[in-house]
Amino acid sequence: MVSDEYGFFIDPQRCIGCKSCVGACGECGTHKGRPMIHLDELDRLESPQTTPTVCMHCEDPICAQVCPADAIKRSEDGVVHSSQKPRCIGCQNCELSCPFGVPIVFSGLEQMLKCDLCYDRTSEGLKPMCATVCPSQALLYAPKAQVELMRRAKPVREFLVGSLLVKTRTAVMLPDPETPLHLDAALLIEGGF
Amino acid sequence: MATLGSLDLQVRPLFRAALTTLALCGLVALGSRGGRWIDPALLGYLMASIFAIFGVAYRYWEWVERPATWMYMRDSLRMLASRRALAVLPRLGLLALDQIFLQRFIEKRSLKRWGAHALIAWGCLLAFAVTFPLVFGWVRFTSEGLNQDRYQTWLFGLPGGTFPVHSFLGFLAFHVLDLAAVMVIAGCVLAFVRRRQDEGDTATQRFDLDIAPLLVLLAVSVTGILLTVSEKAFEGRNFQTIAYLHELSVIFMLLSLPFGKLFHIVQRPAQLGVTIYKAEGEREGRQPCKACGTPFIRANQRRDLEALFHRLGLDAARHSEGVHHLDLCPRCKRRLLAASQNRRLGGAFDPFAAVPLEVEPLLDGPSGSPQ
Ligand code: SF4
Ligand code: SF4
Repeated sequence: MVSDEYGFFIDPQRCIGCKSCVGACGECGTHKGRPMIHLDELDRLESPQTTPTVCMHCEDPICAQVCPADAIKRSEDGVVHSSQKPRCIGCQNCELSCPFGVPIVFSGLEQMLKCDLCYDRTSEGLKPMCATVCPSQALLYAPKAQVELMRRAKPVREFLVGSLLVKTRTAVMLPDPETPLHLDAALLIEGGF
Repeated sequence: MATLGSLDLQVRPLFRAALTTLALCGLVALGSRGGRWIDPALLGYLMASIFAIFGVAYRYWEWVERPATWMYMRDSLRMLASRRALAVLPRLGLLALDQIFLQRFIEKRSLKRWGAHALIAWGCLLAFAVTFPLVFGWVRFTSEGLNQDRYQTWLFGLPGGTFPVHSFLGFLAFHVLDLAAVMVIAGCVLAFVRRRQDEGDTATQRFDLDIAPLLVLLAVSVTGILLTVSEKAFEGRNFQTIAYLHELSVIFMLLSLPFGKLFHIVQRPAQLGVTIYKAEGEREGRQPCKACGTPFIRANQRRDLEALFHRLGLDAARHSEGVHHLDLCPRCKRRLLAASQNRRLGGAFDPFAAVPLEVEPLLDGPSGSPQ
């Protein structure tokens, strides 16, 4: 069981693009040498900003809903796990449907792998690999109560994907936590970031 | 959908499972000539098999009815009923060889995993191929007339070939299950060794999902081999007790089939349908991401996923300007989250806007030790 007192807090604007998280994630024994964390450049021509993506551990995960093999399970502690090896048939439904672009399907292996909050570590009371090495705390794993005190921005766990409300276990830091974070493609299409 | 009391059984899968079981019982009655050829010593196995088939069929139909599973099932059935089937069938045969028989995708996951899995899978399939027809009375061996030196095979009550008792074929006929048991035991031992050596598996394995199925298979195979050992080396000492234990372990395995890890045996063929579906999608081409223009989603999957989103009540996942969330590639979805955070922060990209690090001590885990 992962303790409910601890939360994962993502703050993309703190990311300095050092790729420590990518290196650390690849070290994990459950997916040896294959980092599950994504590090993307927002818009190379416009800005140096990079953003790390880990699984948001949705309350009603769309990845699991669209999985034909029933291979994605959410445990009672709210962690959404990688696909179950005997079941996954590598169809990519999850990869294409996840609202946050998290799962990776490795062709040839016919298997989806994704961030599982380093379950082997967090269920033992340790931090996920990426949060352990992130120097700017863009990836922060900490007691929820403590984070409220130490950051000006507050955690938000509700997202409007278009107009679909998605609730998550992982939080994104925002100055005005009362409103869900609205994700609208127009922002990218206009190039308006 | 209607449910049956607290068991939460679904009516349609229940009905289909009942039909499947009835069909099997019909085939048993037909193949064993009205039950005359059923070996009374195997009655316990027969009952357990029928229960297991009912359970497996129920879970299978329930699984197929899930909207996401049905999306592929429907497409595969349509394909097989269309003219394209002729073009696709040879490919399907090759895929079955590669994915179901040789299981090469597991070899790509890990060679050791493949070795263990192949031994267990081939051992089990061999044992199933021999035992089910015997238990159902579809296959039977008798002496050829009064000739004690030759065996006569009967298939569905009709005479098949004959073969000498003291021949390689005769030896194989009587020891094929021993061979299967040796394969399964070797595979299980390899699997245990691999699991011990693999730190990832050691950390995440679960007793009910990963260990218990291996223990059950080991119990079945070891008791099976002990039957031969007792007969050949110890003049049948303790044979009855071992036979009883073997029957118990087999019945337990059969009854756990619908609930446990072994259910994936009936799920795995779906991979063939998905591989063909992907190839058909490639023929249609990939559609570009509406944000970055990179082709990424196969046309058939784009269509079917939108229909699936509709069935799952996810229609609201549409952005302004008519862009469906499915029209964004995974990378753009990730960029969108950061871009949206930026916008809420007033468009400022200022890594120093947050509270300085010195008032945010790097935290240790609950155990107090720095990680
Ligand atoms: S973020 Fe994506 S992968 Fe993670 S639980 Fe939600 S839908 Fe699944
Ligand atoms: S790739 Fe695997 S986990 Fe993902 S939806 Fe398909 S079967 Fe499920």
